[in-house]
Amino acid sequence: MATHTRYYTLRKDDLNSFIVKLSRDHKVVAPVSKGYGNFAFAEVTSSNDIVLKYIPTILPPKKYFFPQRETILTFSTGRGENAEAILEHEDTVIFGVHTCDLNGIQCLNIVFSERPRDYNYLGRKDKITIIGLECSEYCDKDASCNLMNSNFPNGGYDLFFTDLGDAFMVHVNTQAGEDLVENANLFKPASPEQMAALYSLRDAKRALFKNEVAVDRKDIPAIFDKSENSAVWQKAGEKCVGCGNCTNVCPTCYCFDIADTMNLDLKSGRRVRSWDSCQVEPFARVAGGENFRSGQAERLRHRYYRKFRYSLGKYYRFFCTGCGRCTRACMAGIRLKETLAELVKEAL
Amino acid sequence: MTKPKIAFFDLSCCEGCQLQLANMGELLLDVLELVDVVEFREVMSEKWEGNFDVALVEGSVTDDHSEERLKAIRGRSKVLVAFGACAATGGVNGMKNSFDLEEIGKYVYGADHKSFPTRKTRPLHQVVKVDYTINNCPAYIPELVEVLKHILKGLPYAVPDYPVCVECKFNENVCMYERGAACMGPVTRAGCGSQCINNNNICYGCRGMVSNPRENAARDIMAKYNITPELIAKKMEMYNKCREEEKNVKKEHHH
Repeated sequence: MATHTRYYTLRKDDLNSFIVKLSRDHKVVAPVSKGYGNFAFAEVTSSNDIVLKYIPTILPPKKYFFPQRETILTFSTGRGENAEAILEHEDTVIFGVHTCDLNGIQCLNIVFSERPRDYNYLGRKDKITIIGLECSEYCDKDASCNLMNSNFPNGGYDLFFTDLGDAFMVHVNTQAGEDLVENANLFKPASPEQMAALYSLRDAKRALFKNEVAVDRKDIPAIFDKSENSAVWQKAGEKCVGCGNCTNVCPTCYCFDIADTMNLDLKSGRRVRSWDSCQVEPFARVAGGENFRSGQAERLRHRYYRKFRYSLGKYYRFFCTGCGRCTRACMAGIRLKETLAELVKEAL
Repeated sequence: MTKPKIAFFDLSCCEGCQLQLANMGELLLDVLELVDVVEFREVMSEKWEGNFDVALVEGSVTDDHSEERLKAIRGRSKVLVAFGACAATGGVNGMKNSFDLEEIGKYVYGADHKSFPTRKTRPLHQVVKVDYTINNCPAYIPELVEVLKHILKGLPYAVPDYPVCVECKFNENVCMYERGAACMGPVTRAGCGSQCINNNNICYGCRGMVSNPRENAARDIMAKYNITPELIAKKMEMYNKCREEEKNVKKEHHH
C-alpha cells in the first residue's frame, strides 16, 4: 500500500457491493430489524437488510465474542479420564457497531485478557473484524452516551464509518481494516472537502450531545461512595421483577455459569458455560441455602456499583457505556438516567 | 447390564406429556436403548406386576382414588418422577381450587356429581415424595431427555430457578411487553428455551413460578398494560393455583 492516508470514502451506492464482496470471504453480521422498533445483529449477505439508523440492538455484539451458551470442554467418563478443551471461532466481520458498543467490547477485552486469560473469548476476538458506525444524533432518550464518554469514536475498531450523506467517511485503524479497504477496490482517499464535512458533523454533535444527567462524570465515583444506604435502591428494588434482562442486554456484563451435560450414551458429555445474571435470585445462593444477596434491592444496587464504582478501582474505567439497553429492556420501567439523577440529587 | 425398568402412569391429565415421549421421533430409539419400558398404557398393552426402577407419573391428584393409586406406585418404584405440569405443579387442574368443590362437581357432572367425589387438586409432591420433576405443559422434549439422563446417571436434576426472560433474551426475542402483550415470563421458571415466545406466543406460566417470584412487581408491570386485576389474577392462577397449598403439605410427606 503506497498511500499513508487513514481516511477513505465509500460511495453509498457501493455499500451493497462492499457487503456482497465481504460476505464471500467472511461471515458478515450487521444490525437488522426485528420489528416493533427492535434490532439485532444477524448474518447478512447484502446491504438490503442492514438498517443504518438503528437504536442499540436487543443484545450487544458481545454475543459474537462471548456467546450466550458455548461448549468449552468435551469429556468421557471412562478409565483414563479424557477431556478436551473446545475453542470454537469463526472468521466474522461485524458491520455497523456504534461507539457505545465499541466501548463495551473494549471493556470486555480488558476483563477477558486478565490472567487467567480467557482463550475462548480471545480466540474469537482474533477472528473478528469490527466496522464501526457513527451516530450523528441521539438514537433515543434512553441513551446516556455523552455522560459515559462513548458517543465519539475512541478506537476499538478496524474500520469506522461516518455517514456523510452520499458517501461514508471511513477511518482505517488497523492493518486488518486496511486489508478490507484494499481488497474491496471500492474505496477512494477522502478529499479535503469530505474531511471538512466530517469535522463539521463532529462539531454539530458536540453541540447536540450534552450530559444526560446533570453531573460531572468525574464526580460519579464519590457519589456512589455516599450512596450505599440510599433509599433509591429500596424504591427501585420494589419495582424490580428480577428477570435479568438488564444484565443480559448489557454490553459489559460478563458473569457466567458452568455446567456439565451428559450425552445420551451416558459415557461422554460436554461442559457448557452460559451467561449468568446477578439480578436473578439463585446467583448468590450457595450450598446450605445461604444467599449473599437475598433481596432484590441489594441485587439491583450491586449492578449499579459494578458499572459506576467497582470497575473504577479495578480497571480505571466506567463499565457503563450509556447505550441505554438496561432501560429499554426493563419491563418495570427502572430507568438508569432517573436512578443516577436521584443519586446525584441525594448526594449534593 | 440389565436396563432399568421404567413405567408410565397417568392421573388427572390429558396424557399429552406421554404423547410427547411417543412423539420424540428418532431420539426415542436412543432413549429405548437405555431403558426397558415395562408399562406404558398409551403405547403398549403389556402390564408389569413387579417393581419399577423408574415410574413417570403424569397428572395431578384430584380424588381419593388417584391418591391411593399414586401411593401404590410410589411403593413399587425406586425413583418417582412428576411428569409434566399437572404432576409437577398441579397445572391447569389447579383452577378447580378456586371454586367450592360441591359447586364445581355439579357444574361438571350435574345431578350425578355425588357419584364422583372430588378433592382439591394437588401436584404429586404434595402427596408423596417425588425424586425428579419434569415441568412444562406439555413436557418439553429436550428437558425430558435431560432429566432422563440425570435419572439414569443417578444425578440430581436442578430445574432452573430463574425466569423465562433469561432464555428469552438469550434468543433475542422482542419482549412481549414491547408488543403490548402481558406475558408470564418474568415470574415463570426457565428451562423451556422460551419456546412459546420464540413462536410469537406469550408465556402462560406452565412451568410454575420461580421459588421467590417477585409477584408484586410482576402485577405492577401487567397493570401498566391496562389489564384488570381480575385478569392478572387469572393469568397468575391458570397454572399456579396449587401453590397456595404448598405451605400446608410440605412437612407431611417429605421424609
